[in-house]
Amino acid sequence: MLRFTPVSFVSTLSAGVLHSDRTSSFRVGDMLHPQGNSPRSSRSVAIVGAGIVGMSAAHFLSRAGWQVTVYDAGVVASGATGSADGAVSVASKKPGPLMTLAVAAVKFYEQLIAEGVLVDEYLPRSTFVVASDDEELSVLERHAGELEAASVPIRMLRGTALTEVIGAAAPTAIAAAEVQREGHAVGYRVVERLRRLGGFAIRRNCRVSGFTSSNGHITGVITECGTEQADAVLLATGIGSMHFLAESDLIRPRKGQLIVTDRAGADSPHFPGPLMSCRYLVSKGSQPANSAAASRSLGLVIDPLRTGQFLIGGSREDRDDRETADGDIVAALLRDAVALSPSLARLRVIRVFSGLRAATRDGMPIVGRVGGADNLWIATGFEGDGICLGPLMGRLCQQMICGEPPDQDISALDATRFRLTLAAAA
Amino acid sequence: MSGPQALVIGGGPAGVSAAVALARAGIDVTLCEQGPRLGGAIHRQPDDQTQSVRVPRAHKQRWQALSDELAASTVKVLCRHMFAGIEATGAVLLEDRNTGRLVTRRPAALVLAMGAIERVAPVPGWHLPGVVSAGGLQVMMKSTGRAPSGAVLIAGSGPLLVALAAQMASLGNAPVAVLERSPRLMSLRVIASLLRTPAYLREAAGYVGTLVRAGCLPQRGAFVTAIVPKDGRLSVSVRDRGGRERQLLVDRVALHDGLLPNSNGTAAHPNGPFLVRAGDCREVLGGAAALADGRLAAQAVLAHLGKRGSDSTGAELAMARERQAQAALNTLFDYSGRDPTELPDDTIICRCEGRTLGQLRAMLDSRDPVSAREIKLNGRFGMGACQGRFCAEWVAAFVASQHADGSPPQSSEIVGSRWPVKPVPISAFVTLPPSHPSE
Repeated sequence: MLRFTPVSFVSTLSAGVLHSDRTSSFRVGDMLHPQGNSPRSSRSVAIVGAGIVGMSAAHFLSRAGWQVTVYDAGVVASGATGSADGAVSVASKKPGPLMTLAVAAVKFYEQLIAEGVLVDEYLPRSTFVVASDDEELSVLERHAGELEAASVPIRMLRGTALTEVIGAAAPTAIAAAEVQREGHAVGYRVVERLRRLGGFAIRRNCRVSGFTSSNGHITGVITECGTEQADAVLLATGIGSMHFLAESDLIRPRKGQLIVTDRAGADSPHFPGPLMSCRYLVSKGSQPANSAAASRSLGLVIDPLRTGQFLIGGSREDRDDRETADGDIVAALLRDAVALSPSLARLRVIRVFSGLRAATRDGMPIVGRVGGADNLWIATGFEGDGICLGPLMGRLCQQMICGEPPDQDISALDATRFRLTLAAAA
Repeated sequence: MSGPQALVIGGGPAGVSAAVALARAGIDVTLCEQGPRLGGAIHRQPDDQTQSVRVPRAHKQRWQALSDELAASTVKVLCRHMFAGIEATGAVLLEDRNTGRLVTRRPAALVLAMGAIERVAPVPGWHLPGVVSAGGLQVMMKSTGRAPSGAVLIAGSGPLLVALAAQMASLGNAPVAVLERSPRLMSLRVIASLLRTPAYLREAAGYVGTLVRAGCLPQRGAFVTAIVPKDGRLSVSVRDRGGRERQLLVDRVALHDGLLPNSNGTAAHPNGPFLVRAGDCREVLGGAAALADGRLAAQAVLAHLGKRGSDSTGAELAMARERQAQAALNTLFDYSGRDPTELPDDTIICRCEGRTLGQLRAMLDSRDPVSAREIKLNGRFGMGACQGRFCAEWVAAFVASQHADGSPPQSSEIVGSRWPVKPVPISAFVTLPPSHPSE
């Protein structure tokens, strides 16, 4: 587990306050494979976790002039990032800070496209929240009102408009809310794009086991491949972040199962975007990780992929066996999917997979400074929103670590609400 | 309730042999076969039962004896039942293709005898219509009882090339050429090693005799370098042993580069039944070995269940004999395929997703060696309908050839171990009754 190795030296650099104006003059062309170009005198940051949050932070920190090394116990995108559905969506968020951040996160994706950072990795589209009975309709109407109150563009579809837009895909729907200006991004592809832009080093299969520190200041990371110096550390390892914290049981794994179909034929009905059953709103985020009730719940999203395949999901289960999917959940999801969209019955399942989300005790992510060291930050607990929030959170982490005022108010995510401290360091 | 139940997957010689041996020991056995009837790849006969395909007498006698034992046993046979995998709670998923439903079983033991998968080494144009695997062509021929029409070229490496060519010749359409990549010829040493298994020598002599009469002996040391469409046919570039290139215009090309155990989805599951693999599914040694290996698999299951089985000494001796024979035969063949560094960038590697070698090369980065998982996800290699069964080995081999240092990826990292083992219709899931696993 965690080790703290006494060190004989004290870093002459104080913890990471570094202002930089390089981000504003950034051009993508400058970033292609500049490894080794950064000045030796720049500050170094160790990022633990090569998922979408860690890799986004690595990108922005390297743009800000830091020497960045990303460590991962596995490989790039081997956790939730590599097994997520890729919804960059506000449609399912509850009103409050998360909905506000999700709106900002969608805009941030658009900004990254405009800057040339995420070319072709973001597909703008609407999400269709579908009600199939009167009970779901009342949920839909209330939710649509909440989204509108957060300035999310919504179009309610009923009658002829409903039939024209999603009638072929979901003939039994009685109403739908088209949540406009959303998108889809495949987590591992976003991360691959950031990796190719370069500017930072990645250490795969190199588990970080602890830190070297001196007088409440971290001086380096202890890894399977040796100890390396660092002027700042960002923990972005999802559930794995807990290994470094004194507080246990704060973040729990929440398993999700997803289904991939083969390609639909030319005669298949048109899907204008992902269809989300209203029941998803009931399932999602409604149980904090420590609630004993309803340890398994299903939400239904039928997502037409660019390849012509469909991604159908997903479950939310308080368990951590990520290795395989089970017949009950997959069959239940497919039954719901076919009930909403009967034409799917003609397709075939080519793969099922599962992943683990990091769910916090209060259902909100944790982003901020960790007590016990003056140069340690954390960004974790995004549960099902990592792909949506990831790039923005990477940017906000860079601003935090650089001591810049963040673009967004993330005080609601602050780690101090749990009084987080470094394990064995207090 | 009755005693422990065993499920055997695969109705070829290994599966039937295991099922019969288990039933004889008093086990309640169900044997599932994905096709319409038993026999496996080796003993397949035409769907139209008035037709027949000539097979070596030893094969026929072996299968007849086994079929008789099965008929006299208590084994329940389910044809058109496909093994779809083992799900998270340990249940075995079977797709019943008669009813179009997925069903679950929770046997005490599972014997997987799903045979081999055929290797085909990538070559430019191998994805074109009209290019098939030699095994696939043989299945078609055995199912229809007719030789494929038109001019057929058979190429690659392995004893199957000669067997297929001879069977085609017997059915009246000998191939235009048979190209065997390996230049090595049958030697006295190989013949000596095969004396303990004379059936192979008789079988080989029979095939060669047929091919001599048809004027179609294999050209050794020759291989295909490219296939391109031409006037609705296929123009095949062939390089012979002396390095000379020539073109052949044909209607079909049958490629084959050996066999591998069909191991996809065959890993034991911690919540699942006791699992044993048998026959070519475990080790590719052919039909005679499959009979013995089926008995050994049954023996392993019985030992696990604490039951006494019959003496398996004979089976172990037979396995040793067959292993020696296969080792001797394999010295005559070359399953390596073309050196991937010689293949052009536009060679398709993943046929399901149409991904090329050039796209794979572009993914490799000398300064930041990407992992197999990253290659799979971002390159979409192994992400198509076959889930890497047919391309993972070549993707891994190519990446390995480019890795100067570090550990090259294993093909298992690309294939993974997810169910379903093969695509299953969504409609089949809809009727799956909820299970109530004991927790």
